Amino acid sequence: MRSIRFFLYGIPALLVVILIAAFVNATFLSVSKKNEMSIGTLGEPSTLNPIQQADSAASEVAGMMFNGLLKYSRDLEIIGDLATDWTLSQESTFRFQNHEEALKSRDFLNTLLSSSPALPVTGLEVQEDRLIVQLRQAGLHDSEQIFKSLWDFNYNPLPFPALAKGEKPSPFLAEPILRFHLRKNVRWHDGAPFTAADVAFTYHAIMDDRVASPRRSDFELVSSLTVPSPYEVVVRYRKPFSPALASWMQSILPAHLLEKVDPAKWPEIYNRHPIGTGPFKFDSWKTNERIRLVKNPDYFLGSPWLDSIVFRVLPDPLTLQLAFQTKQVDFWGVQPWAVKGLENDPRFELFSAPGNMYNYIGWNLRRPMFQDLRVRQALAQAVNVPQMIKYIIYGRGVQSNGIYTPQVWFYDPKVKPLSYDPKASKSLLDQAGWKPGPDGIRVKDGKRLSFTLLANNGNEVRRDISTLVQDDLKQVGIEVKVEVYEWAVLLKRFVNKGEFDAIVLGWGLGYDFDQYAIWDSSQTHPEELNFIGYSNPKVDRLLSDLRQEYNRPEIIRMAGELQQTIYDDQPYLFLFVPEGTSVMWKGAYRIRRPGRNPGEWIDTPVTMTKAGWSCDMEWFYRPEYPPQVKGSKP
Amino acid sequence: MESFIIRRLGLSLVLLFIISIISFFIVTLTPGSPYPWGELNPKISAEVKANFRKKFHLDRPLPEQYALTMRDLFTGNLRSIKDDRPVMSRIMERLPATLALNVTSILISLSFGTLIGVAAARYAGSWQEVTGSFITFIFIALPGFWISYLLATVLVTNFGVPILGTQSYGIDFPNATAEWLDRLWHLLVPATVLALGGIAAQSRYLRATMIGTMKEDYIRTARAKGLQEDVVLFKHALRNSIRPIISGIGMLLPALISGAVIVENIFAYPGMGRLGYEAVLERDYPTLVALNFVVAALVLLGNLISDILSAAVDPRVRLE
Repeated sequence: MRSIRFFLYGIPALLVVILIAAFVNATFLSVSKKNEMSIGTLGEPSTLNPIQQADSAASEVAGMMFNGLLKYSRDLEIIGDLATDWTLSQESTFRFQNHEEALKSRDFLNTLLSSSPALPVTGLEVQEDRLIVQLRQAGLHDSEQIFKSLWDFNYNPLPFPALAKGEKPSPFLAEPILRFHLRKNVRWHDGAPFTAADVAFTYHAIMDDRVASPRRSDFELVSSLTVPSPYEVVVRYRKPFSPALASWMQSILPAHLLEKVDPAKWPEIYNRHPIGTGPFKFDSWKTNERIRLVKNPDYFLGSPWLDSIVFRVLPDPLTLQLAFQTKQVDFWGVQPWAVKGLENDPRFELFSAPGNMYNYIGWNLRRPMFQDLRVRQALAQAVNVPQMIKYIIYGRGVQSNGIYTPQVWFYDPKVKPLSYDPKASKSLLDQAGWKPGPDGIRVKDGKRLSFTLLANNGNEVRRDISTLVQDDLKQVGIEVKVEVYEWAVLLKRFVNKGEFDAIVLGWGLGYDFDQYAIWDSSQTHPEELNFIGYSNPKVDRLLSDLRQEYNRPEIIRMAGELQQTIYDDQPYLFLFVPEGTSVMWKGAYRIRRPGRNPGEWIDTPVTMTKAGWSCDMEWFYRPEYPPQVKGSKP
Repeated sequence: MESFIIRRLGLSLVLLFIISIISFFIVTLTPGSPYPWGELNPKISAEVKANFRKKFHLDRPLPEQYALTMRDLFTGNLRSIKDDRPVMSRIMERLPATLALNVTSILISLSFGTLIGVAAARYAGSWQEVTGSFITFIFIALPGFWISYLLATVLVTNFGVPILGTQSYGIDFPNATAEWLDRLWHLLVPATVLALGGIAAQSRYLRATMIGTMKEDYIRTARAKGLQEDVVLFKHALRNSIRPIISGIGMLLPALISGAVIVENIFAYPGMGRLGYEAVLERDYPTLVALNFVVAALVLLGNLISDILSAAVDPRVRLE
């Protein structure tokens, strides 16, 4: 009897007492001001092995621990990281009937070169029936010129068989060669020296089937990678492929730890406590709670100022906001609707920039109604994009003018977006033969101008876009039926099969100018990314020329032409580029980063750069922990 | 008693097998593909995709996939698509946190549920009891995420109290007691939110049974003997009404685990519910299948325990 009563009243009373004690205890705890940066991430990294990861949370964490051979500067220029410098050259090979023919053509070229020194040839060599021309720069242009001269003077080179199935035989081989010189003072976090062997190992690991690296397609055109000395790497490509340079931003793995281990064992021995070369070293990982990194005092550019960085995994956007407000995390990525309330708050600093993605409506060009350019233009002019920006993303964005976003260096600002003009839209539809029918919806040859617009569930921006588009198009006599599906269903049933009328989607494509997979007419099969069935021979040519061009001004010119050509075709209704905004407590951090000259340090507040506000995060410091003086004063 | 336990155990194993088949097919037949890099990624070649599918047996027919998955599950070779680690170690590192949360939550539900249930039965019909019932029904009806958000916002913004994770971060604890109380605090808040529904349900069950029991002849006899009302209530009525509470534990467990998905996410609590939620979003089939299996095993175990307890307190059960 007494025991029953004890349990009945005692346990709840005990629980209440513990709860109150714990609550009182919690109110007395205060965050101690450590020299530590705290970053909140919504997702937990899959792995910290930089050749196996594909999620942004993972690359954010790993980016602090690893280096690539190259990196982007604050102005998005490609600069050396583990490499001090690099050169790009090319070997072009021409094939002849026999050795004598090859020798004769070499002599001819020698005389030609003395008369036209503009050709960047650095050497000529004959091997059996082949003439190998060494060039100072990569690309097809010079080789084509040499080929043409040979042909004009009747030294007829023989074609090479196709490199891959489906390709044409090539008149000559053009093999670009990238030569990197590496830093000599770099050590892994465990003290072992970093050498070219690590680069070679990383490349071979990416190509290893057992590793299943998502980075593989970046390196598929590499024909060989050699290490002539411990601080030199030579990469040879089968054919010109200019996006390949940026692929050497790939983080390098330590060969001495992983080379002799079966990749199946990496998850246990390495992926969750990696060794890198970067400014921070791995310290601990509490699954679903936090990852902690500590400073690497031996970092090759100098020790960072912070003692440690902690990445806290907070999966819910509201709790992430709460954590920011209580200073448990130092930064917060704000939703567009919340920006206005924070903008004028003196407690915060905001960093905003156009994001690296754009929203669009893809028209399925296999459908007859969308094959008429006038109809696509009419659709674009009937949709009020500025209003969309105002109401859907609260003005935090700009109208899209094509396949590139304003942040990237090859973006062409001269491409003029179509303006909202329902009158022009109506007259275009009239011209195209779509006349208003009895119910206000336009009709042509007995068919109504009506289609289904798809969007994915769970993405409020896209759902709102579809609603506004439906309303706008009704004004010009087009009927839109909106259907919303779960993302996986949308892909499987409609996108991958190319069976839909129109679809609201977005592309976030990084800094790569090569969009072959999205626009080339060969990429229209099921599960390929040109799912709208777009085909334009001029675009096909530009796409393939662009990925073989190494000259920066030429790339900018061709990318601009590509952007304009595709925009003129209106295969998508290009909508808008939303802005991304991050908040920091005012004055929480400053930056002191190495300058261009050795020993020079530059002290600045945290500011927006082309590469974002967080590009120098390894050099952030808390003003209450000023950096121990090193080099010049601010 | 032994034969009863063995019979129940056998039945549980058969059930577990059937559950494993059903859960495997539900998981794999759901639309979507488990590409860790997202489906519309221009950087991923068809070759990489094919290689990936081969590595995780996704290119085989479904029945074969099931067999391979189960073989790998029992040999410990089943690996997560997300991070390529053995699935069981991913689950095991979250199991302690999940068990702590669920056991605490069950403890809260049972203790408060019983107390409120007894009080409700004793004062059945009075205005206090009607008000109490009304509040209980509100708690049954309120969605867990709403209470969680409300509680999290109030605690953090009004009291400045940390609630995320299993422990406050970035704090130097003055002593071990403070640290332990902090851990308890991070456990009790989500556990209480999870328990609210359980308290309400338990107290309603108990109230109904108690009211029925109170009408029995032996209660009248006990009162007629001149026993105190408390003795009648606790010794005679409660003991004979305890069975629904015990079988309720078995029913609480699945509800707790499914409710934990939301609560664990909001409070950033590193439990199995969150693991499952992330695995669903990532279409991490191996993790999902293994997790379903473990959860099913836990639920069956919970049912088994509550059955055995029922049989222990009530001999009639053993004969059923």
